[in-house]
Amino acid sequence: MKFNFHRPVTKKGRHALLFLLLVLVIIGIPSYLWSKSNITTIAGRYNSPLSPIIMIPGSSASADRFEGLVSTINKKYDEHHSLLELTVHTNDSITYKGSIKGNDPRPFIVVGFENNQDGYANIKKQAKWMSVAFDALKSRYKFNNFDAFGHSNGGLIWTYYLEHYFDDDTINVHRMMTVGSPYNFEEKDQNKRTQMLDDFIKHKDKLPQDLTYYSIAGTKVYTDDGIVPIGSVEAGKYIFESNIKHYTLITLTGNNAEHSDMLTNQQFISLFHQYIIEDRSTMPTNSKTRKSDSAQINK
Amino acid sequence: MKELYSNSLQKKVIQIALRTQKNFFYRVIQRTVLTIFPFVLIGSFAKTIQLIFLSKNGLFSNLLDFIPDSIYFQIEGVVTAISNLTIGWISVIAAYLAAKYSAKYFKRDDQLAGLTASISLLIIAYTYSKKTSFAFHQSILGIRGLLFAILMGIFVGYLFKMTSKKASPINFSSMSSSALNRAFTSMTAIFLMIVIAAIFSAAVNVTFYSNLPETVISQISSTNPSTIPWLRLLRTLGLGTYTVIMSFLGWSGPYSSIGTSYSDTTSIANLNYALNHHTTWGAPDIFNSNALYHTFAAYGGTGATLALIIAVFWISKDRDFLTVSRWSLIPSIFNINSPLLSGIPVFFNVIFFIPFIAAPLVNMLLAALVLQLHLMPPAVYSVPVGTPGPLIAFLGTNGSWQALLFTLFSLFISVLIYIPFVRIAEKVKTIDNLAADERGEDHEI
Repeated sequence: MKFNFHRPVTKKGRHALLFLLLVLVIIGIPSYLWSKSNITTIAGRYNSPLSPIIMIPGSSASADRFEGLVSTINKKYDEHHSLLELTVHTNDSITYKGSIKGNDPRPFIVVGFENNQDGYANIKKQAKWMSVAFDALKSRYKFNNFDAFGHSNGGLIWTYYLEHYFDDDTINVHRMMTVGSPYNFEEKDQNKRTQMLDDFIKHKDKLPQDLTYYSIAGTKVYTDDGIVPIGSVEAGKYIFESNIKHYTLITLTGNNAEHSDMLTNQQFISLFHQYIIEDRSTMPTNSKTRKSDSAQINK
Repeated sequence: MKELYSNSLQKKVIQIALRTQKNFFYRVIQRTVLTIFPFVLIGSFAKTIQLIFLSKNGLFSNLLDFIPDSIYFQIEGVVTAISNLTIGWISVIAAYLAAKYSAKYFKRDDQLAGLTASISLLIIAYTYSKKTSFAFHQSILGIRGLLFAILMGIFVGYLFKMTSKKASPINFSSMSSSALNRAFTSMTAIFLMIVIAAIFSAAVNVTFYSNLPETVISQISSTNPSTIPWLRLLRTLGLGTYTVIMSFLGWSGPYSSIGTSYSDTTSIANLNYALNHHTTWGAPDIFNSNALYHTFAAYGGTGATLALIIAVFWISKDRDFLTVSRWSLIPSIFNINSPLLSGIPVFFNVIFFIPFIAAPLVNMLLAALVLQLHLMPPAVYSVPVGTPGPLIAFLGTNGSWQALLFTLFSLFISVLIYIPFVRIAEKVKTIDNLAADERGEDHEI
């Protein structure tokens, strides 16, 4: 077969090819000039679409603690968040379970610990292990922003971690939510501060200033959620109030508001979805809010 | 010698094409794909506007900034409505047509068959969601569901053939009784089909949340790839080819030509490198999907179909091809090729199967070679959604002339790959038309 490259055989074809060339030049030149002058914008647009939700379970729970919660959320809201579970062992080694799907901007990452015992000494250790896991995640997934969630002691580990280990300006934590985190352990009386609460207050300046924090307390009989006294959750105000961007305390009552049942509480799931997952304004886009991404979803 | 070989290849492809065209299935499929063309075309224009003007990160998304929000949302609503109700549910239309054509071929009630097929598809796609009361799984109704919809339409045709009698021609003078008669003739088929659809629907809703095939594929395409360069190359080539084949069948693979995901780890590693070193030369992973597939294998959409358009403009005298290509040109510039795929048609077309896969593959291999030899830098920066295919490499490298030159070269190669097949398609068309005229048939199926 021989090709004859004289010129397009029809007039229509010739015109169309000219048109194509013209459009490419017209689009090409300004976008070239624009991108040349504005390389940071290109980078900004890139700004890691991956924004994981990193979760820490409470004491004596392991990394699989949130499997039920994640699958409930996926079902209830027709979403497909992936779930990655890390377990940090006492010798700082990490085992992984699950994966992050390539096209999932909001995966859940759970960090559990082999030593998941209660007590301030253990929480300190766990915060150190958290920093080991976080460094591994950071270098592996290259995200530059995330949201935090902690159940019970998980919230204490987060607070200790943020005060003592989190000093990376290249990574932002936008939002944190905790459920039944006892900042004063089992102590009901806020005037009797435990060593841990004192330490937390002492180092509160190191918390990220632009953090928005939702603390949820469950109550069953006015005073506690079966395990954690409401006063102990409330004591968090001494650490966070007027120190970070927003501090909100929410009290949940009714069915399933007991300490360990909270994760199946519909009210809690709505709050979690609304404040942590859905809040797109925290997503690092350079676009205005009105630009929907609907066009990208149904590709 | 070479000429002889390529001629005999041509002959062979023509023979195969003519033989498959006699197949009833194939004719229904091709006919259906051609008939949906106008809707695909209009939908694609709407989609193009949506992508480049209205979506965030669209190519021209900043041009609309001066419009007040209220008007903006109006425009967005209208455009989304058009796009969703044309290509957004194109499979429902396709199911109707496929069932209608096959029922007509079997001399059964074609209209009822078509309606049955459409309704069945909607039932299958219905979402059992507590959140929204009247929702469908979009992936089943859109272009991705095309093959399934057509096959289901043909199945409905068969079902009508097996369970109902021949349809009497419509008699308008005795409207009511004749229409009722027809309805009851087809009742068994309709009832059976809806039951089957309901069963399918339950299965779809059960498997939807387990999300199995998607999980497997994105597992491979996302998580940490091997560190050995040639393995990564192989992986990108493999996933790219898979995407192209899937797209030929109307499905979609892991790589989308619009709304490219830059979240995979190697892309971000590349970007960090580029930002630190102020150049994309020497970025760590030169064989990832951005550097190869999105940049060089998808000019004008999956299958490098911009090359097909250029080939048609260059050598074709066929009026249909030229018209379709001209109408498809604008969406294709912004990488939306559904009108071209449906109008030529390329979907399920044995003739274009080879270049549709070969062109992207050759492009990726050439690009890998040139990148490996360090003759051009890899594309690392993200480009706006809808950036014309031939400009992606240029902008993604922040203006490397080598990359632009290579783009033009590889586009030229793709055009060369497509040209012989455009010739073959023209010949097949002529022979087919002649044969049909001789037999004195109308081109019903």
